[in-house]
Amino acid sequence: MIKRNKLILGHKDLKSITDDICQPVETPPGKGWLTLFLGAKTLLIFYIIILGCVIAKGMGLLGVNHPVAWGTMIITFVFWIGIGHAGTLISAILFLFRQKWRTSVARTAEAMTVFAVMTAGLFPLLHTGRPWLDFWLFPYPNQRGPLWVNFRSPLLWDVFAVSTYATVSIVFWYIGMVPDFATLKDRAKNQIRRKIYGALSLGWRGSARNWSHYEMLYLLLAGLSTPLVLSVHTIVSFDFAVAQLPGWHTTIFPPYFVAGAIFSGFAMVVTLMTLVRIGFPQFKDYITIDHMEVMNKIIMTTGMMVGYAYASEFFVAWYSGNIYERYVFFVSRAFGPYAWSYWIMICCNVLIPQVFWFKKMRRSIPVMFVVSIFVNIGMWFERYVITVTSLHRDFLPSSWGNYAWSFFDGAVLFGSFGLFLTLFLLYLRVMPAVSIAEVKPVLPVGRDDGHGGH
Amino acid sequence: MSEKNRPEIQRDQTYWRSLEHYNQDPEFLKLAETEFQSSPLREGEAEDGVARREFLKLMGASLAMATASCVRRPVQKIVPYNKQPEEITLGVPNYYTSSYFDGSESMGLLIKTREGRPIKIEGNSDHPLNRGVSIKGQASILNLYDPERLRGPKKNLFNEKRTNKDTIGANWDSMDQDIATQLKKGGVVVLTGALSGVANRAVVKDFCQAFGAKHVQFEPLSHEEVRAGQKACYGDDLVPFYRFDKAKLIVSVDADFLGAWLMPMTFSGQFAEGRKDIETMSRLVAFDSNYSLTGANADIRVKIKPSQQLDVVLGLLHEIVVKKGRSSHAGNGAVKSVVDSGAGAAARLGIEPALLSQIADDLWENRGRSLVVAGGLPTLTAQAAELQIAVNFLNQVLDNEGKTIEAKNANVGLQGSWADMLALINDMKSGQVKTLIMHKVNPGYVLPKALGFFEAVRKVEMVVSTADRQDETSGEAHFIIPDNHPLETWGDAEPVSGVFMIQQPSIRPMYDTRSFQLSLMTWAFIAKQGPKRLQEYETYYDYLRAVWREEVAPKVARGKSFDDFWLEVLQKGVVGEVGSASGRSFRTDAFTSIKAPKAATGLELVLYPTVMMGDGSNTNASWLHELPDPVTKITWDNYASVSLGFAKKNSLRQGDVIEVTVGGNKLELPVNVQPGLHDDVLAVAIGYGRTAAGKIANNIGLNAYTLMGFNGTKAIASGLPVEFKKTGKTYELANPQGGQTMEGRQIVVEATLKEYLKKKDANIHRHHIWSLWSGHQYNGHKWGMAVDLNSCTGCNACVISCQSENNIPVVGKKYVLQGREMAWIRIDRYYVGTPEDAEVVFQPVMCQHCDNAPCETVCPVVATTHTDDGLNAMTYNRCVGTRYCSNNCPYKVRRFNWFGYAQNIEKPLHMALNPDVTVRTRGVMEKCTFCVQRIKTAVNTAKKENRPLKDGEVKTACQTACPSDGIIFGDMNDPNSQVSKYFKEERAYGLLEEWNAAPAVRYLTKIRNNGKDARHEKGEHA
Repeated sequence: MIKRNKLILGHKDLKSITDDICQPVETPPGKGWLTLFLGAKTLLIFYIIILGCVIAKGMGLLGVNHPVAWGTMIITFVFWIGIGHAGTLISAILFLFRQKWRTSVARTAEAMTVFAVMTAGLFPLLHTGRPWLDFWLFPYPNQRGPLWVNFRSPLLWDVFAVSTYATVSIVFWYIGMVPDFATLKDRAKNQIRRKIYGALSLGWRGSARNWSHYEMLYLLLAGLSTPLVLSVHTIVSFDFAVAQLPGWHTTIFPPYFVAGAIFSGFAMVVTLMTLVRIGFPQFKDYITIDHMEVMNKIIMTTGMMVGYAYASEFFVAWYSGNIYERYVFFVSRAFGPYAWSYWIMICCNVLIPQVFWFKKMRRSIPVMFVVSIFVNIGMWFERYVITVTSLHRDFLPSSWGNYAWSFFDGAVLFGSFGLFLTLFLLYLRVMPAVSIAEVKPVLPVGRDDGHGGH
Repeated sequence: MSEKNRPEIQRDQTYWRSLEHYNQDPEFLKLAETEFQSSPLREGEAEDGVARREFLKLMGASLAMATASCVRRPVQKIVPYNKQPEEITLGVPNYYTSSYFDGSESMGLLIKTREGRPIKIEGNSDHPLNRGVSIKGQASILNLYDPERLRGPKKNLFNEKRTNKDTIGANWDSMDQDIATQLKKGGVVVLTGALSGVANRAVVKDFCQAFGAKHVQFEPLSHEEVRAGQKACYGDDLVPFYRFDKAKLIVSVDADFLGAWLMPMTFSGQFAEGRKDIETMSRLVAFDSNYSLTGANADIRVKIKPSQQLDVVLGLLHEIVVKKGRSSHAGNGAVKSVVDSGAGAAARLGIEPALLSQIADDLWENRGRSLVVAGGLPTLTAQAAELQIAVNFLNQVLDNEGKTIEAKNANVGLQGSWADMLALINDMKSGQVKTLIMHKVNPGYVLPKALGFFEAVRKVEMVVSTADRQDETSGEAHFIIPDNHPLETWGDAEPVSGVFMIQQPSIRPMYDTRSFQLSLMTWAFIAKQGPKRLQEYETYYDYLRAVWREEVAPKVARGKSFDDFWLEVLQKGVVGEVGSASGRSFRTDAFTSIKAPKAATGLELVLYPTVMMGDGSNTNASWLHELPDPVTKITWDNYASVSLGFAKKNSLRQGDVIEVTVGGNKLELPVNVQPGLHDDVLAVAIGYGRTAAGKIANNIGLNAYTLMGFNGTKAIASGLPVEFKKTGKTYELANPQGGQTMEGRQIVVEATLKEYLKKKDANIHRHHIWSLWSGHQYNGHKWGMAVDLNSCTGCNACVISCQSENNIPVVGKKYVLQGREMAWIRIDRYYVGTPEDAEVVFQPVMCQHCDNAPCETVCPVVATTHTDDGLNAMTYNRCVGTRYCSNNCPYKVRRFNWFGYAQNIEKPLHMALNPDVTVRTRGVMEKCTFCVQRIKTAVNTAKKENRPLKDGEVKTACQTACPSDGIIFGDMNDPNSQVSKYFKEERAYGLLEEWNAAPAVRYLTKIRNNGKDARHEKGEHA
């Protein structure tokens, strides 16, 4: 049997685990958190103003035009949705596969998922010309005929996929927190905290019945979430793949998008975890270098999968003999006016993660932080390349054009981080960032072999 | 009606209704006045002060108020005409015939009015000459509703230096008195543009007679050089009528007859006529110094520089007369001595000698059926007259005179002259002119500063202008008496002699303006001078009728009474026909006295008018500026076009700003690197750089008239030596077309005539397409459109027509640069062949109304759907604006409302909107609808009349505007419809056919009659 490292370091007992994890929730915030929070909040307010301008004046403020009718908003939507994948993957799929190492990162990864999906969800709603009529995208009974939605449109599938995913993720995340909320309630020293966490814990008593039901529900939800991990990005990819545009119309998109999503999701988890480890040093015992290394391996693996997808697109374009397809890949994408974005994508997504072949790199916090940032950049550009370069030169050369990047494009992209970071920072302060209930079982208490797995 | 206003009622002694009546009892009279004893209309007159209707109103109001809390929007009532004017039915357009004269071409119009306001200008289909209407003619609707028009007469107050101190409103009576008094002093000059129409000319003539005034006509795009040539060769001071339809071989030396020379709408129709039957289609050879629209449509285009124009003609003459010894002039030594200088022209032109002799042989072959033309600004060189004489001689040699050139049908109105204008400046300077009346001229803008127009005009005691705004010239006028817009006033026109048109007003003058003609009549009346008819008529309408009665009716009324004749003329808009022609005798000495051209080196200037701006008048219309140039496709600017070779040699790139110096005049212009230009040519469009035209046109581009040179009284626009200097600055030129070549794709299919004769669907690569789905079923109509690329000249008339019909907004240069232009129909221009000698093909692209429309499947809210008559319909109300449809459209014809364009329409421009077409709000997608409003109107009319719809009854806006019948629309379910026949033609193909979107538009292969066996293959799809 392979000897594994301990999943939790530092000779913890059950009490110190609870103390460690509850500490950020129960103590006033430090200067570091406050500074970050103020920064994030300022960015959020800026974001709200920018979105207000776009709603008030029109989509024309962004760089979208003819022929590039989709731009930053859709790119950033796919970017955030992709990031959202890691959380559910870690918490649900790894749960089903009984990967015990997931316990200490699952909570935060799930939180990231929920916030990422929330951030993402705004974009398709706001990128429409008349966002105040977005409710027409939902099939609801109406007096117009009844006028129904178009079930043939991938955008509609998107509406269902994303909203289902958001709902299930939130429920899954919340259910997992119920025992921990009860712990927080029990430890609460004032009435208000007691009331709030009491309400959130849904009357949890920690009885055997409670646990039995809880574990069954958690398993079922994990089972329910698992196909969603694959479906949501598959359907997001259909927005592109079902269209007839060269560069979009490819069958490889669903697996390629899912791999890319996991890739970017894990990169974001690594980014956030390194920051959490810096901000809350006590978490270093729970989110160990071993955890990080495992995630880095996944990053490298999925990175090579997307690299393979990039290559196969070229092969298929050549093999198909389709002149439009060939033009998109061999002229427009790799060597056209947007070649720079293509090569940024290749560097960040395929080349840079190769450093993880070396164990030293995989276990180096600064290296993995930098790589994860590059991967995030690369994955944003992947969506940029897909959306913009495919659209900007399609069938009739007369209608070719370039994306008219404006200040507002940058503002919505960076502003969305304001929303995400504000939510994430608040989460770190009001919810247990590591699952207390799940970490305790993987503690090597009473086992002398010291391996954490089983 | 109050007591005192009541008219005295005559007491009828014989018949009376009652004693009260007999006694004129007031009570009775009040009752007698109203027809009915009780009327719901008599509000508040009942005894208690509340009429029945009032009561109902109050009741309704209280009900409305009681339920107001649930009412989402206030109820806004519209009220139909209380007294409906005869002829006007709400929602039903009226059409009036009229005419439009742009200074060169008089076009027959059909003006569509709705509820009494003109909304669209279309061609009069009964007209013997033009079918469509030029771009400026169509856009003149915007001039009518221009918010910057003067709304009444103005008086400019000057300081001692005669610069403007203040502008105040003028009082009609005192102003007319002042002017009439001044006129009596003599020294009167009436300066007008060219005048078309018998009455329009007569009134000026009468006026001149009244005051001993001189009439000077000035047009920047005068046809002075043509007239000079005609005069020298035939003794006739006229612009002959050309018959491009009769010519089998047309050689144009810089005469842009399809674009902006003479009468392009008429000529486009003729040209299309001559090429309709492909097997016997005419051939167009263009010697082109600018890349003109005519050059773009040429079968063989040869790039030249202006100094070679004469060489071209002499070269052809040399081939025919000297080398081959043809024609009766062959032995003439004097002729030979002139023609000899044309030897070796091919080498100087840089073309194969065989090509030139081929053209010459063909000309000879087609003698009597060929046509050589030259003219326009690019030919206004120092040797402009010689060129005309040589061309006339060549036509004489080829026996074309009287066959394809008709002097009898000349346009007698085109008397504009630079020489007369320059003479007038001298007269003004010397103080001979005491009163100057200006009409339809803008010398302050056109004339270069050095000519001293402003100094001269300030010496005139009284200057009167009829401009509709305080423009570059009218700022110098004491009185500005705004002329009515042509749509507001009576007038007439005469495109060629023998064809007469009426200009009917289709709206009452919007402001306190007066027609120029009536002003002349008024002053004559006040001064009590001049012919009787000038003084006695109260309106210009009466005068016009009188002139027509005297001068026109006897020629063309064919025995009808004048009133019948008049009614018929108004209904049809045009009377008379193009007469027959006969040849004239040529004065050979005119030819033998011309000087041979001197070989020139170095960069030469070419000035040219564009189809959008023309001479630069009436350009405060946004449509014109956003319309891409037919060849360069650049909007909102003029620029210096130079060749690729020149740009490379001087390392210039698109948008680099250079300082152009021509004879001491400087202009800083951005560079447009233009394929197919001669290396020694620098071409600049005139008509830009207005400074007092209005918010839209002001400071758009630069005024290239300032580069003109003058030799005595001769104006020189082209061929002047140009120096240039790089400035290091750059400037963005807004070209809405992204790619300029077809990238080897099957987009515009072209075949040479020889290929076509061998195989009618030559060069069309058909794909084997199959589908699992059987497709939509169309049981009623199935609309389709055919675009004959062989007829399309790329003139852009359809684009403006569409814009006018469908309320398409203009976005401005900034947003054109960002790719937000809104045109529903665009004309794609692709370059073909080598960049140095690039040829051009055009393709109008509108929504293809695909049967398997990719846009329809992806809209999440079903805002774009397929109708059961084959249209791809767009439901603006339902659209939320995801723009997915645009992404999925392979033709990229969908347009998105990025901002709320409709809210920015300045009043009263909103009156030009078509009420039949929804004005789109921000955030919705729009596109070509195949003019669904026209389809519905025609279908409903047929239904009401209980008859099947006739083929050709539905005409789309683009179709009606096309001067060459290149667009055909109709029902494809009707096998005999014209469009069905076009679809069945072998040269019909669908755009991106292999994609199986199954478009409802078919394009018909363009045929190039260039004598080659096959299309030039290099860089071009096989």
